[in-house]
Amino acid sequence: MTRPDLSPSAPARPAAGNPLLEVDDLHVEFRTRSGVVHAVNGVSYSLSEGETLAILGESGSGKSVSAQAIMGILDTPPAVIAGGGIWFEGRDLLQQTPDEQRRVRGPGISMIFQDALSSLNPVYSVGYQIGEMFRAHRGTSKKEARQRAVELMDRVRIPAAASRVDDYPHQFSGGMRQRVMIAMAIALDPKVLIADEPTTALDVTVQAQVMDLLKDLQRDTGMGLVLITHDLGVVNEVADNVAVMYAGEIVERGTVDDVFTDPAHPYTDGLMSSVPQVEAKGGRLQPIAGQPPNLAAIPSGCPFHPRCPRRRLGAAAAPGRECATDVPPLRLVVPGREAACHYSEEVLGV
Amino acid sequence: MGRYVARRLLLTIPVLLGASFLIFAMVYALPGDPIRALGGDRPLSPAVVAELRERFHLDEPLWAQYWEYLKGLFQGDLGTDFRGRPVLDTIERTLPVTIRLTIVAVVFEAVIGLIAGVLAGIRRNSFFDNLVLVSTTLIVSIPILVLAFVAQLLFGLKLGWFPIAGTREGWYSYLLPGLVLASGSLAYVARLTRTSVAENLRADYVRTARAKGLSNRTVIVRHTLRNSLIPVVTFIGADIGTLLGGAIVTESVFNLPGIGREVFDSVRAQEGAVVVGIVTLMVFFFIFFNLVVDVLYAVLDPRIRYD
Repeated sequence: MTRPDLSPSAPARPAAGNPLLEVDDLHVEFRTRSGVVHAVNGVSYSLSEGETLAILGESGSGKSVSAQAIMGILDTPPAVIAGGGIWFEGRDLLQQTPDEQRRVRGPGISMIFQDALSSLNPVYSVGYQIGEMFRAHRGTSKKEARQRAVELMDRVRIPAAASRVDDYPHQFSGGMRQRVMIAMAIALDPKVLIADEPTTALDVTVQAQVMDLLKDLQRDTGMGLVLITHDLGVVNEVADNVAVMYAGEIVERGTVDDVFTDPAHPYTDGLMSSVPQVEAKGGRLQPIAGQPPNLAAIPSGCPFHPRCPRRRLGAAAAPGRECATDVPPLRLVVPGREAACHYSEEVLGV
Repeated sequence: MGRYVARRLLLTIPVLLGASFLIFAMVYALPGDPIRALGGDRPLSPAVVAELRERFHLDEPLWAQYWEYLKGLFQGDLGTDFRGRPVLDTIERTLPVTIRLTIVAVVFEAVIGLIAGVLAGIRRNSFFDNLVLVSTTLIVSIPILVLAFVAQLLFGLKLGWFPIAGTREGWYSYLLPGLVLASGSLAYVARLTRTSVAENLRADYVRTARAKGLSNRTVIVRHTLRNSLIPVVTFIGADIGTLLGGAIVTESVFNLPGIGREVFDSVRAQEGAVVVGIVTLMVFFFIFFNLVVDVLYAVLDPRIRYD
C-alpha cells in the first residue's frame, strides 16, 4: 500500500482551531478484476468538537466509503487506501497498528449505520450487544455491562428499557432499533460520531425523533458529528457545515446556510432545484440531467462536466479553464466557501 | 414451545402407522414364498409348511395380516421371524452396532467438516480453501462402495492400521467404517460451513462488530461463527436421523451386524415382521431427529418461534 510519507512522530498538523478529526487528501480505490474503481479521490475535511458536518451526495459519490476508511472497516481487499492521512487527536490513524486503530473505534470514533436491522446481530439480545462495548474496551463484568446497557437505552429514550434489555433486535420497531444502534455507538462517549444515513430507512416522523435525539446527545457530550446523507432536509435542520461530494471528490463546502441559499457549484445548484418546494406546488421537479459517473471511468477535467448546464468547452472556455480537460481544484471562492468549479463566481452571481 | 413439541410428537403416531402399513404391504407384494425358501435345499414337509403358513397368517388377505400384526404391536409384541426369534431381540442385537457406527461417523463429520469449512470460509480463495473444494468434490463423486473397498484395502490390508471387518476390537473397529460412512456428509458439512461463514463475514452486523472495536477473534467467533453454524448444526442433527437408519453398504463391506444389514437380509428372506419392525423404527428416528432439529433451530436463532 502506498502512503504519503508522513512520519508518525510528526506533531499535530497545523489547522484552524483545534480539529478533532482531520481527513487529508484521502484516496480510496477498489481494485477489482474488471479494473480500478476510484471511490474517493482526494477528500479533505476537518471536524471540531461539537461541530456537525454533513457530507451530502448521491449514492456512489464516495461518502460512505470515506467514512468506512476513517473507521478502518473497509473490506481490504478489494478496497485499498491509496493515499492520504486520517488524523484523530493529532495522530495519523493510517500509520497506527491494527490494534491501535481498533482501540480508537468505540471510545474515539464510533459509527451508526443506515439499516439497523441488518446491522445488529440477530442472535444476540440488544443488551448484550450494547454491553459488549464495555466488556471489550473496559473489561466490565457481564452483569455490570447489562446494567450499563439499560442506562444507555434509557438515555436514548427507549421506553421500558429495563424490561426490554434482553429482547432481540427483531422485536423492536425500526426507530427503536436505530436508537439501540445509537446507544451502542455512544456507549463509550466517543469524541466523534459518524452517522451513515441514520434516518434513511425510517418513517419521516421517526426520522425527526432520531435526529432530535442525535442533536441532544451532541449537545450533552460535545462530540463532533459527521452526518452522511443524501437528504437535504436533514442537512438543513441539523448541520453546521456541509461538504457536497460528487464522484469521490468534495465539490463544494461551506456553512449550511450559505451553501443552501446560494450554491457556488452547478451540482449543488442542481440538487437544490431538484427538491420539491411547498411554494411551487404543482410545478415540475427539475432533475439533474444524466447519470452519476461510473467510478471506474471518471470523466476527464471536471467530473461533473457531462451533466453540467454551465459547462464551457473548447473556445467558449477561458484559458486553463476548459471544463472537459482542466480539473477544477477545490478553491476558496468567497470567504468561508470553497467550490471546485472554474466558474463558481458566475454560479454565485458575485 | 412445549405445546409445539407435544403436537409434533402426537403427529408421529399416524405417520408411524401409515409407514408400517406401507412397508407391510410392500413385503406382502414381494414375489416368492418365504416358507419354502426357509428350507433351502431340503424341502420342508407339506405338513410343516401348512403349519407355518397358518401360524404366520400367510394365507389371509393383507388387511387381516396387518390387523394381526397391529394386535401384537399394541401388546408390545413386535412378532417373530419365521424361525421363531422375537424381532425385539434382533433389534436389541443389531441396533447398538448401528448406534456406535453413527456416533463415530457424526464425530468425524462434525469435527473434520466444521474445522475444514470454517478455515476455508475465513481464508476464502486461499490454498487451503481450494484444497477443501477439490477434496470434497472428489469425495462426493466417488461412490461409497468404492470408497469403502479402497479404505479397507489401503488402511486395513496394506497399512494395517485398522481392522478390516467385524466388531471384535470394540470402538476401534468402528473408526474406518465410521470415516467411510461419514465421508459424504463430511464433505457436505465442509461446503455448507464454508459458504455460510463466507456469507456471514460480509454481513452488516459483522461490519458493525468491527466498527465497535471488538478484537478480530471476537468478531470471528461471536459474530460470524455463531451465526454461520446454525444451518450446519441443523444439517448434522437431521443427518443423525438418516445415519441411524443404518448403512447397508458400509455395514456389509465391513461386516458389521447393524440394522442396515439386518433389514437387507430380512427383505431378501421376506421376513415381514422383521422388516416392518426395523424400518418403522428407522422412520421414527428420522422423524424424531427432525423434530430435534426444529427445536434446536428455535434455540439457536431467536427469530424463530413456534408458538
